[in-house]
Amino acid sequence: MSMMFAPRLTEAAAPTTHAAPTWSPYDNNGGTCVAIAGEDYCVIAADTRMSTGFSILTRNYSKIHQITDKSVLASSGFQADIRALQKNLDARHQIYQHQHSKQMSCPAMAQLLSNTLYYKRFFPYYAFNVLGGLDSEGKGCVYTYDAVGSYERSGYSSQGTGMQLIMPVLDNQLKSASPLVLPLRQSTTPLSEVEAVDLVKDTFASAAERDIYTGDGVEIVIVNRDGIRHELMDLKRD
Amino acid sequence: SIMSYNGGVVIAMKGKGCVAIAADRRLGVRGHTVAMDFQKIFEMGPHLYVGLPGLATDTITVAQRLKFRLNMYELRENRRITPKTFASVVANLLYERRFGPYFVEPVIAGIDTKTGEPYICNTDLIGCLNEPDDFVVSGTCVEQAFGMCEALWEPDLEPLDLFETISQALVNAFDRDAMSGWGAVVHVIEKDKVTVRTVKTRMD
Repeated sequence: MSMMFAPRLTEAAAPTTHAAPTWSPYDNNGGTCVAIAGEDYCVIAADTRMSTGFSILTRNYSKIHQITDKSVLASSGFQADIRALQKNLDARHQIYQHQHSKQMSCPAMAQLLSNTLYYKRFFPYYAFNVLGGLDSEGKGCVYTYDAVGSYERSGYSSQGTGMQLIMPVLDNQLKSASPLVLPLRQSTTPLSEVEAVDLVKDTFASAAERDIYTGDGVEIVIVNRDGIRHELMDLKRD
Repeated sequence: SIMSYNGGVVIAMKGKGCVAIAADRRLGVRGHTVAMDFQKIFEMGPHLYVGLPGLATDTITVAQRLKFRLNMYELRENRRITPKTFASVVANLLYERRFGPYFVEPVIAGIDTKTGEPYICNTDLIGCLNEPDDFVVSGTCVEQAFGMCEALWEPDLEPLDLFETISQALVNAFDRDAMSGWGAVVHVIEKDKVTVRTVKTRMD
């Protein structure tokens, strides 16, 4: 337990002592991302606040990046690493398009993102990603990642500083039956597009109340068969 | 971390002329679940309850010491204690141990029987009082609980609606925490009666 102290090492027994590190290559710029997959749409949202420590750097920063016509990446964490990751994915996608004469599907992009993250397993991208879009059949898909590329397709997800606040709310509203129950049910939510967008707005409003790193505004991107649509909503600026 | 050694969560909410206090039932030793019927909410008066999430040994000890102080109060004053005063008793007990604290972060819920006014509050482990108008949470899944309460709570809920709201908030919050769960108990305190219900939950 934390109350017990280890016996002190003498200088002879511990010739090398490491000073506490003063510089970290990482910083956390805060923020929260959410994505919800529907039958024929996908909603991806992120707040627009960028912070460092207890200060706000800007109230109007986009954490959402469109990679293909059908894939949208939302990331929270260290924005410098995230920017580098986005550029990396864009470059890889360009190469794919030259080689295959078509865009990558969302499941393919999901795998690419996982591989890209694991490539830097021992000096990771400090990025907590949620990839949303439509799969090859036009159904909504959401992929959620950890910092080193472990990923899973699910019906909804959140990442970032407000993740712990938002996830149980999404569970309550969207949780699908266990995959052990047969016949196998879709992981997408039966909610309509408008209901899903309203749910996202409500969850961000709640998260902004209690999470100091979430606020200022919400950028919502909706991907459906007609294309990609953007919405903006104001949040509390405190 | 000492506060997450045994696990557990308590939430309290205000309603229209009523309050509700709810807790999970798990007692664990780090990851190992030891009991699924561990009491974290204690009755301190006919309309006054205190929830004590945190280190289980201190849950029991603080409950016993509080009961003692409460009994002494009732003997001396010859009347029931009000929730607000009781909150000060709790804060005082905890601050007495300022440099070697009890590892509990209590949640108090009650109705002032004279005025009918609902009251909730919580304190940190050294007795700093927080008296909001809506809800209080404490335990190993506070983030999750805050998110749920913030999304579900609205003012002036009737007792049955308050029961539904607090139950959903608690259950969905501790379903995202490995150290809490294994059943839930909910007390709804109204001016004239107290209803205790156990909620069927995932047992993991």
